[in-house]
Amino acid sequence: MKLKYTYSPLIIELKETPNEGDVEFEVQIKEDRYWPAMKSVQRFFEENEVYTDVLFYPFENHKFRIIVREDHYAAFILVLMKHQLVQKVEWV
Amino acid sequence: MDQQAIWAIGIFLVIYALIISEKVHRTIVAMIGGLLMVALGIVDQETAIHHIDFNTLGLLIGMMIIVSITAETGLFRFIAVWAAKKSKGKPVHILISLLLITAVCSAFLDNVTTVLLMVPVTLSITRQLRISPYPFLITQIMASNIGGTATLIGDPPNIMIGSAAKELTFLAFITNLGPIAFIILAVNIPIFVLLFRKQMIVKPELTKVIMEMDAKELITEHKMLYKCLSVLALTMLGFFLHQALHLESATVALAGGFLLLLMTGEHRMEEAFTKVEWATIFFFVGLFVLVSGLIETGVIESLAEHAIEVTDGNPVAASMLILWLSAIASAFLDNIPFVATMIPMIQDMGSMGVSNLEPLWWSLALGACLGGNGTLIGASANLIVAQLSGKEGYPIKFMSYFKYGFPLMLLSIAISSVYIYVRYLI
Repeated sequence: MKLKYTYSPLIIELKETPNEGDVEFEVQIKEDRYWPAMKSVQRFFEENEVYTDVLFYPFENHKFRIIVREDHYAAFILVLMKHQLVQKVEWV
Repeated sequence: MDQQAIWAIGIFLVIYALIISEKVHRTIVAMIGGLLMVALGIVDQETAIHHIDFNTLGLLIGMMIIVSITAETGLFRFIAVWAAKKSKGKPVHILISLLLITAVCSAFLDNVTTVLLMVPVTLSITRQLRISPYPFLITQIMASNIGGTATLIGDPPNIMIGSAAKELTFLAFITNLGPIAFIILAVNIPIFVLLFRKQMIVKPELTKVIMEMDAKELITEHKMLYKCLSVLALTMLGFFLHQALHLESATVALAGGFLLLLMTGEHRMEEAFTKVEWATIFFFVGLFVLVSGLIETGVIESLAEHAIEVTDGNPVAASMLILWLSAIASAFLDNIPFVATMIPMIQDMGSMGVSNLEPLWWSLALGACLGGNGTLIGASANLIVAQLSGKEGYPIKFMSYFKYGFPLMLLSIAISSVYIYVRYLI
C-alpha cells in the first residue's frame, strides 16, 4: 500500500524524490497565513525524541528542503494533513 | 586503623565498584553509599550535610537553567548552520568549525549540554551532505572534553576543584588551563583532518544546498534570545569578577538563572526546572557524603601521607603522579568520584607541609578532564553522544572510539606534563 496525498497548489508546492533510504521534499509555502502551520510541522519533528526522522533545512522565500526517513514518511504526511497543508490522504 | 575506618573503606569500595559496573544507576548507588555512611554512624547527619558542597550544586543548577532556556531559542542550531555556511559547505572546514564551536561552548556550558545541542545539528548537516557523521561525532566528543578543561565551569571536576580551593578563581582557571587547552586543541585539529580526510568527500551540488540555507530562520524566539544573551553575558561577567565581588560562583550562576526566569516569565520556570539534571545533582550529594566517611575516619589523611612518602615530597613527582593517575583513571572510571576522593587528599597534603599545591590542582584538573577522552566511557559527554547517535542508527563502538581516543588522550597528557613542568615546577 502506498500513501497518496493531494494538496492545493495555491497553498503549498510539494515535490518529493527518493534518495538512499530517505524521501527528500522541496516545499514552498505560497500563502503567508499557512507559514505558521509549516513552522508547527517543523517544531513537531524537532521536538520529538528522534532527531533524524524528519530534518528541515530552511531557505529564503518560505522554502524548505525536508529529508524524511522512509520509516517516518507516513507520519510526516499525516502531520502535514493535521495542519491542513495537505488536503486529502488515502492508502492506494 | 579503627573499625569505623574499615567500614568506611568497605562501603566506599563496594559503592565505587557498583558505580563502575553500571548495573544500577550511579545516582541511586552513590546516594545509598552516602546514606549508609550516616546510618552506620560513620558520620553524623550534621557533619554529612556540612560536607555537601553546595557551591558545586548551585553552580550546576544555575547553569542548567540558563542553558535549557537558551537552547529553546534555536541559537545553537543557528550558530552551527552559520558556521557551516561560512565554511562554504566544505566538509573538512565544517568539521573544524563544529568542533571549535563545541570546544568554546563546552568551556562556558557543561559538556553534556553542549553535545546534546550539537549532536542533532551535526546529524542534520551530515545527512544533507550525505557523509558519515562519525568523524564529526568523535571529534566533537574530544573537543568537548578539551574545551571543558579550560574554565572553572567547563567540566564537573573543575567545578569541584574550584569550589574546594578558594584561591583558584574563574580567572585563575582560564589563565592557567586556557592556554594548555588551546594548545592541545591546536595540536589535535591537524591530526583529526589527517585521520578523517578520506571520509570528507561530497558532491558539489550538496554543498551548494548548505550555502543557500537561511540560518536566520532557525532562530525561533527573537525576544527571548536577546534576554538569554544578556543574562549569559552578565553571568560570564559575574564569573570573571566573582572574587572581587566576594561572591561564590554558585551565587553568580543562580543569580543568572533566576534573573532569566524573572525576565522570561514564571510559565518557563516549571519547564526549566524539569530540564535540571536532578540525577546528576543527587549523584554529587551522595558522593560528597560517601567521601566524607573517608575524611572523618582519617582514611584520606593516611592516603595523603602515603602519597607524600611515595613521592618523597617532591613536587615534580607528586604532580606527574597525580596527572597521569588521574588521566588513566578518568579514561576508565567516572572522573567525578575520582576527583571527589582526590580533592581532600591534596588538601591534606597541603596541611602536611607540601607548600605549593597549585601544580597539584592543575595536574588533577588536566588529568581528570582530558583523561575522559581516552575511552567511550571516560566522560558523561562521550556516553551521551554514543547513546544519541546509536539511537539514530549510528552506533559508536567502544573499540572504534578507543583507537582514536586513547592515543590522542596520551598525547594530550604528555603535552600537559611538559606544560605543568615548564610553567610551575622549574
